[in-house]
Amino acid sequence: MSPIQTAAETAWCPGCGNHMILKAVPKAMEAAGVDPTSLVLVSGIGQAAKLPHYTRASMFNGLHGRALSHAFGIKVANHKLKVVIASGDGDMYGEGGNHFVHNIRRNVSVTAFVHNNQVYGLTKGQASPTSDLGFTTKIDTHGVTSLPFNPIALAIVLDCPFVARTFCGDKEHMHETMVAALKHVDGFALVDILQPCPSFNRVNTYPWYRERCRRVDGSHDPFDRARALELAFRWGDSGATEIPIGIIYRSNRPSYESQQPVLKKGTLVEQLAHA
Amino acid sequence: MDVNLRIAGEAGQGVDTTGRVLTGAFAALGLHVLASQNYMSRIRGGLNWFDVRIGDIELFSSRKQTELLVALTSEALEKLRGDVAEGGIVLFNGAATDGAVAVELEKVAKQVGGSPIMANTVAAGAVFGLLGYELDALAAHVTETLGGKGAEVLQANLACARKGYELGNASGRGLKAPGPAGAPSAVYSGSEAVGLAAATAGVKFVTAYPMSPSTAAFTYLAGIADEYGILIQQAEDEISAINMICGAVYGGVPAMTTTSGGGFALMTEGLSLAGVAELPVVIMVAQRPGPATGLPTHTAQEDLLFVLHAGHGEFPRAVFAPGTPEQAYALTRRAFEVAHRYRTPAIILTDQYLADMLKNSSPLDASTRPIDRCLVEKPAPGYLSYRVTDSGVSPRALPGSGAIVVADSHEHTEDGHITEDPDVRVRMVDKRRRKLDGMRAEAVPPELYGPKRAGHLLICWGSTYGPAREAADILGGSTAVLHFAQPWPFDATAARRAIESVGAGRVTCVESNATGQFASLLRSSGALDEAELMLRYDSWPFTAEDIAARCAS
Repeated sequence: MSPIQTAAETAWCPGCGNHMILKAVPKAMEAAGVDPTSLVLVSGIGQAAKLPHYTRASMFNGLHGRALSHAFGIKVANHKLKVVIASGDGDMYGEGGNHFVHNIRRNVSVTAFVHNNQVYGLTKGQASPTSDLGFTTKIDTHGVTSLPFNPIALAIVLDCPFVARTFCGDKEHMHETMVAALKHVDGFALVDILQPCPSFNRVNTYPWYRERCRRVDGSHDPFDRARALELAFRWGDSGATEIPIGIIYRSNRPSYESQQPVLKKGTLVEQLAHA
Repeated sequence: MDVNLRIAGEAGQGVDTTGRVLTGAFAALGLHVLASQNYMSRIRGGLNWFDVRIGDIELFSSRKQTELLVALTSEALEKLRGDVAEGGIVLFNGAATDGAVAVELEKVAKQVGGSPIMANTVAAGAVFGLLGYELDALAAHVTETLGGKGAEVLQANLACARKGYELGNASGRGLKAPGPAGAPSAVYSGSEAVGLAAATAGVKFVTAYPMSPSTAAFTYLAGIADEYGILIQQAEDEISAINMICGAVYGGVPAMTTTSGGGFALMTEGLSLAGVAELPVVIMVAQRPGPATGLPTHTAQEDLLFVLHAGHGEFPRAVFAPGTPEQAYALTRRAFEVAHRYRTPAIILTDQYLADMLKNSSPLDASTRPIDRCLVEKPAPGYLSYRVTDSGVSPRALPGSGAIVVADSHEHTEDGHITEDPDVRVRMVDKRRRKLDGMRAEAVPPELYGPKRAGHLLICWGSTYGPAREAADILGGSTAVLHFAQPWPFDATAARRAIESVGAGRVTCVESNATGQFASLLRSSGALDEAELMLRYDSWPFTAEDIAARCAS
């Protein structure tokens, strides 16, 4: 299998974390043994959501916030496809928040890479659901007062079977985490990828993340939900100055597809072909 | 001749159950039936009623006047007694009251060994007795529908039916009722017809957020899903529902969502996505009066221009508006075919009246006959998802077929990637627009009912078909009806010819809205110059008598 080719030219700013993620995705797919001919890359809208356009792969670039709904539809039509989502913090946690909650509840087997730069890039610098308290923008001129959205904690509470966080500045870690997520085939896999935005986020920079990101040590048992939740609440400057990265939580909840009697006879596409 | 009977009571009292038992039993006798429901947006209490009109000729409209009122509560008796025709009968569930046949239905049910809910069967028996039909016919139908519930339940129900029948007979009252006319025994609601057509057309994924009056179709599909191999998923919201079916059709299977006006409002961005990404989604919109929450369980035709214009930007779509359950079946299949042939959304526009209407018809084909998805099975190297063609339709391949298959919400190049090139933009807009030419050429033409030449022409669309048709019958040979079962797109020149060929001195558009939406569409397309509007927007359906009376005035 030849690896997925990527475009040389993109519309991203120099220094954007997306460049690193774009390089990492095909490598991780190759390492995880993903067959490019059965892959669909799905995205909504945002800077991250442009990623599928820069690959030579089947893709569905839909609407802002709706990547998970598109992905769910694709997966139920043909659950033999590998469905991988490229989304951002606004797309997945803001506009798509309701779908985030309910597709984890369903536990559809998709891999969600969420490029989390804690700011809106495409619309030029407004706060995102993950912006830190006090983060000032042209809209939040007095600083953000809404509590930051905690995707890791929410996913654990919803018993998402694979919950991880990585940092695009730690290439080796990002690769390993992506490979593990892609190899997780039963149920929802979430990877929150911390990613600086050099144009619009002057607070959460490469050095800022580098100082704080700590790999979870080998003794962490991701099946320990209480411990996982405790790690999920560690963030930056709030108390502990560490941001744990790695596979935070795992569980063995059955996937959506495995629980649908109609899918036991094969994919819906196959069933239609034989009708 | 025909008789209209009305079962009225509180929500939760079994109005619906009694109505359905009688509808099925009458159809099994070979009578023509048309049942309609009027209910309030509540689960318990209030005043609901279920009309079953039976005749020796095919029936197309509900009727306000009733010959036999079954009043399950005092409120039903008080509020609906005025609708009872001269010589009509009131069967009252309670102690003797002025002129009514009084039967304490629950008490009777318990006396013969049944449970209180079997009061419905006592009522059905009494109705059969009052109409002078054979008890055996009702018993056979009860056996058929309740046979699976165990011998004890069945025997108790049969005892209830018998006792009700005896009490009806013993009242000394009776009605002249139509005789069996060889009508088909199969009965369908509009919702069932849509669901059955979708299932047999090969729909594999149906998702929706519940909303009256669309939920009946979703529920029906869920009930037959195992038999037809359909995946059903209740969505977290209507936004998700439409975006899920966009994904599912891209993945390769016919998919549908069902909703009503408010839910459809949430779907409009997804509809626009289906337009630009060229995804063959099918949406059933069951109308109810708005704006906003409006009157959730009532009927209207207020959303024609909404579904026609919904979604930002410009893209082709087809809108089908059936007039009967049989038409709903045929047009739902057609909606799937057109959506796939042109890679664009198709909408089935019904309303509460049609969705809940029950009517007998020759059996609808329940066998699976998947529609042609118009796929390229083995795409050649260099396959382009949005190849520009003369018809505007790009051959569609599926992901996993070996080709790179792209769906994109931006303006895009032929290979589906983002572009801001103005020339490509124009070519793509023109390509999508050309699809409408093909869709228009194969649109369902309007159907003329009545004399080919008439002094008065009634123009209607959707569920107003039946009442308008029967109104023309009441008015004799002076009135014709032109029904548009596909309000968009249509051939305006052909429509104009169809209107003019009747040579009517008077043309009236009959619609259940306050602005004459279809009339304005006909005028703006050049199909119609001047017309009178006959509008009804009190949240109730038109009746034939209503239309006939307004034509005469």
